[in-house]
Amino acid sequence: MPGKTNPLIYIVVVLLALLFFYPFWVLFLIAFVPTRFTFGLIYPLQFPLEITLSNIVNSFYQVDLLGPLIRSLEVAFIVGGLALLLGIPAGYGIAKLTTRISNRIIAFLFIINMMPGLVIAIPISLYFYSAHLENTVLGVALAQELVVLPLTVFIIMGGFRSLPRDLENQARVDGAPLSSTFARILLPLVRVPILIAFILSWMTSWDEFTYAFIVAPIVPTDSTFPVALYNYVTRDLPLQSATFALVATIPVIILVVVFQKYLKGQYLSGGLIG
Amino acid sequence: MDSEFSGNREKRFKITGRHVLYFLFALPAIAYVIGLSIFPAITVVYQSFLVAGKFSLYNYSVLPSYGLYASIENTLIVSVGALLIQLMLALAIAMVMMKPFAGSKIFSSIVIIPFGISTIVSAFIFSLIFTNVGGFANGVLVALGFKPVIWFSSSISDLGVVMFSDFWKNTPLVALILYGGLSSVSPTLYEAASVDGAGALSRFTHITLPAIAPLISIALLVRGVSEFNIFALPLVLIGYHPLILNTLIYENYSTLATRPISYAAATVLLIIIMAYSIFVLKIGGAKQYAR
Repeated sequence: MPGKTNPLIYIVVVLLALLFFYPFWVLFLIAFVPTRFTFGLIYPLQFPLEITLSNIVNSFYQVDLLGPLIRSLEVAFIVGGLALLLGIPAGYGIAKLTTRISNRIIAFLFIINMMPGLVIAIPISLYFYSAHLENTVLGVALAQELVVLPLTVFIIMGGFRSLPRDLENQARVDGAPLSSTFARILLPLVRVPILIAFILSWMTSWDEFTYAFIVAPIVPTDSTFPVALYNYVTRDLPLQSATFALVATIPVIILVVVFQKYLKGQYLSGGLIG
Repeated sequence: MDSEFSGNREKRFKITGRHVLYFLFALPAIAYVIGLSIFPAITVVYQSFLVAGKFSLYNYSVLPSYGLYASIENTLIVSVGALLIQLMLALAIAMVMMKPFAGSKIFSSIVIIPFGISTIVSAFIFSLIFTNVGGFANGVLVALGFKPVIWFSSSISDLGVVMFSDFWKNTPLVALILYGGLSSVSPTLYEAASVDGAGALSRFTHITLPAIAPLISIALLVRGVSEFNIFALPLVLIGYHPLILNTLIYENYSTLATRPISYAAATVLLIIIMAYSIFVLKIGGAKQYAR
């Protein structure tokens, strides 16, 4: 719409920004302000009168923060890697089928994915128990893979589909075998969708709670960071939890800011937007 | 992007060796998803009908005494409430983002970043905001001259805290979906309507709403299903009182003796989610699959 900006917009903008920013602010206050201004008061101060690093430093000595974070990293990279390993061929293959069939396959994957997480996680953990995958990095990763796979396939398929059809035919006419056409010509052209799929899978795994909680439960030395954080929250350790939450949230904030322009509705809701 | 997904490449189709090959490429991923979701689902449903190795409806007959009806009701209240809150906030964000204003880049970062926040981090922060005595929300209220509120004073207010707290992580996705729909409306349409004398309200109901109606139904499907699945947030904020379906399932799962009860409750949740998906697809999104 042309013309000047309605001043009313700014009121809405400021209110919404405050609403969405406030939880970050609370986390910041708990982590960086001496406890006598936060938990020491009935109504914690809303502004930092004094900044300290001792909450964070002490927490690092008091609880094992690094272990769960490292396990989360391992799990997230396995989930992201496996998503590409399965998702790239699948995205390519599905993109080559007729639109009608490929849309059905994608829709099928997404509908399957609507199964309630807890309902699926419980039997999976029982299977994994007999396969000795319970409480393991690989077990958590294999369970979380289920959550990210449909979206990965969809995003990568979109990338392949947007390539000109002639490209591959020309390479074939020139006598290049399918495998080298794929690796040398097609893959570099879909690197952006592949990267987005990887980042989204990585982030989903990093944040995921339900599967991790059921497959690698409670024991904080065995779990990923969301499960360990849950453990500290229920043990009423707010400072340690805040430190944990802060450290675990910083990488995601960076990722979202850097890749913000790729976070589009039609990517994130998958095949459901035509 | 959109045009690539709309099927105008449709032509007469013959299955060839090449198509089988392409399908084989996709097979591992499809098999993985089926293997790790359909089989577990079947296992749960099957187990729920077994008592000492025999078919029985016993697990279902005792479910009500474990709080089934209340937990279904609570799940529905939380889901519907949370969806409404998220849709309204998301619509406000998407409409604001359509306009040019100073600081729009920073604004969109602020409202989108929570998308990446872990549910458990969000649950932890909101548990600090909403505490009965003191807490940050009451701090704000008192500073503004209001009386502090006892947030966890009844089941309804407990559920209210859960449904509100869910907005932070999940509104960004809805906003992005709706924004995609709004940005596809041609600005000339609004201009033409203005010239014809349509007011802001009538432009909203006659142009904006119809344009984003299909996207609202998609957001309802995507978010609605996850809403029925919320688990970490109620677990941290309200524990097992009042129960929602997921906490009922988990509570009984964690004790070996009541595990069959949790299978029956999980089956109930499965049926509710399937019924909801079919309902939303029928009224809104079905044409997406008709191609």
